[in-house]
Amino acid sequence: MSFFIGAILPYITLVVFMIGIIYHFYVWKKLPKPKMTLTPAPKPGIPRYVELMKETFFFRSLFKGDKNLWIFSWVFHAMLALIFIGHLRVIMWLPDNMLASMGMTEESINTMSQLSGGIAGIIILLMVLVLFGRRLFTGRVREISLRGDYLALVLILIVLVTGDAMRFVSHFDLSLTRDYFLGLVTFSAVTIPDNSWFIAHFLFAQVLIMYMPFSKLLHFGGIFFTEALIHEH
Amino acid sequence: MAEENKNIKETVVNSVNAIKDGPLPLRMYMEICARCGTCSTVCPVYYGSPEKAMNPVERSDLIRSLYKRYNTVSGKALGDLSGFDDFKEEDIERWIKDFYECTGCRRCATYCPFGIDNSVITRKGRAIVDKLGLTPDTMKKVVEISLKTGNTDGASAEAFKGAIAFLEEEMEEEHHGIKIKIPVDVEGADYFYVPPSGDVLVNPEATMGVAKVFHVLGMEDKWTMSSKCFDGANYGLFTGNDADMKQDNQLYVEEAKKLGVKTILMGECGHAYRIMKMIMEKAKWWGDLPFNIINCMEWTTEHIHAGKLKFDKSKNPQPVTYHDPCNFGRSCDIVEEPREILKASCQDFREMTPNRGENWCCGGGGGLSAMDDIIDFRMKISGTKKVEQIKDTGAQYVATACSNCKRQLTQLIEHHKLGIELGGVHDMLSRAIIINGTAADRVEY
Repeated sequence: MSFFIGAILPYITLVVFMIGIIYHFYVWKKLPKPKMTLTPAPKPGIPRYVELMKETFFFRSLFKGDKNLWIFSWVFHAMLALIFIGHLRVIMWLPDNMLASMGMTEESINTMSQLSGGIAGIIILLMVLVLFGRRLFTGRVREISLRGDYLALVLILIVLVTGDAMRFVSHFDLSLTRDYFLGLVTFSAVTIPDNSWFIAHFLFAQVLIMYMPFSKLLHFGGIFFTEALIHEH
Repeated sequence: MAEENKNIKETVVNSVNAIKDGPLPLRMYMEICARCGTCSTVCPVYYGSPEKAMNPVERSDLIRSLYKRYNTVSGKALGDLSGFDDFKEEDIERWIKDFYECTGCRRCATYCPFGIDNSVITRKGRAIVDKLGLTPDTMKKVVEISLKTGNTDGASAEAFKGAIAFLEEEMEEEHHGIKIKIPVDVEGADYFYVPPSGDVLVNPEATMGVAKVFHVLGMEDKWTMSSKCFDGANYGLFTGNDADMKQDNQLYVEEAKKLGVKTILMGECGHAYRIMKMIMEKAKWWGDLPFNIINCMEWTTEHIHAGKLKFDKSKNPQPVTYHDPCNFGRSCDIVEEPREILKASCQDFREMTPNRGENWCCGGGGGLSAMDDIIDFRMKISGTKKVEQIKDTGAQYVATACSNCKRQLTQLIEHHKLGIELGGVHDMLSRAIIINGTAADRVEY
């Protein structure tokens, strides 16, 4: 089982994710785009990109529409970005080597990671719980929630809990994953880290990644297309 | 009956499946909605009645769920287990009802983090309903009359000319014998004024206002109206029927070509201007046009800025507010011009909050205001927020630049006993503009 999850599934995940994303981007690129300006619209060129950046990084429209949801979802996505960057340390040696060459000791790198990663891991978990609660207990959200909405939340929750467990419950040695991922990308015999939290975390993370292009989680790429569409002058 | 029902399902499912081939916005709205519920917090209909059937996501799901059922892996593989319901023939009743309970105001699109414009989905739903011949009779009739007579009121050229003669008499009386002309069917004029027919037949002061501006500028022989084409309203936009929308529009474009005008001067009618300027012209329905298209409010504002128009504000002492019609505020960006005109001609102009592109719909958008069969819905649900907004301003006169809004707001004011006057933007200009030294001595209508 762990052999499948660690040595075969990653390649399937990659292929499924790439096909899903490329398919959607390709279709979105080629479909007819009627002009459907929503005013006030930014002028073409730089102002339009500024607007798009504001939407992407600060969720400007949502901020105007629903401040409560904005706080939770913005913090959630910001932590997600932070954790994504933090995972570079998990999969390769490069970040640590770079930081070391800038004069940081191994100890201080670990402390920084424990602090930022640990805090981010807790905050994002709280945010997901709040968003989950919102979906369950806010009438206007609950009434429009379908199975897929809960599935996405549950998957994210499992990935976060197992991820946090690796940091807080059982200590995890990053050199194991770095070697493992190096093995994966070089197609050489891989040793899967023998840690059940890791196996669970990695399995559900892969399920989530494969699910993304075929679910509403596709909104991460879609925003560039729809926002550009509607704010075209 | 069974055969017919099978056809209903087939038509619906095929039309929904066709979304796969675009247009892009529609297809993306099927795929990327995160179902966060922000739209329901900004929707005038859901505000008036926070129940599931009024939730924008729920309404759009009539189409979206069906799309997912037939076009996604989980929908195809899991069937009923996927949670995406298949279409049942009795669902069509819900489609007709629900898609005519969205005012298409696009407020959701303004606040949606992904810019999802539910009005596009609503219009698709209505288009499918129309394809089945099931468009509500009230709407169907408006389209039929409009395509037959060229205007949504079914008025003849004689009736129109009669109304124009009456307006000229009124203006002559108001201004003590000064003749202010409204030219009709003049070939070779520069400007072709196309109002909604309501601004000639029901609330004619706006048209008087425009005529007075031409008079003051000494351009009385430079403009014309048409006795065949005096109604920019085009309900093809509202029934989702593109062919009807084009046919209705073509009549006006050809008339403009026949008259040989340089400019179509659209009146105070949001969707009419939107179709001309943002849809027809941009999509080049009829190729390159020998005329340009502007709105009368832009035009008048330009002359106010140039200092060519003078006003006696004491004629309009009461507090006045402006309701941004969705089609001007969110779809055409005509927001400052009406304010300029009102500020120039009224003593006490007050803003509604929020306003401009964020304004709440009157509750009669998307053609609903013409539907008397749903007046209860319009008065008690979709118009709720608007009534609160108007009350908060303390205004005694609500100006707006759209015949749909005007009808809905008039009914709201009556239903909720607000005792407020309602009218157009050029109406206020008409009452205060100075001609030969004095403003009009207005007779009450």
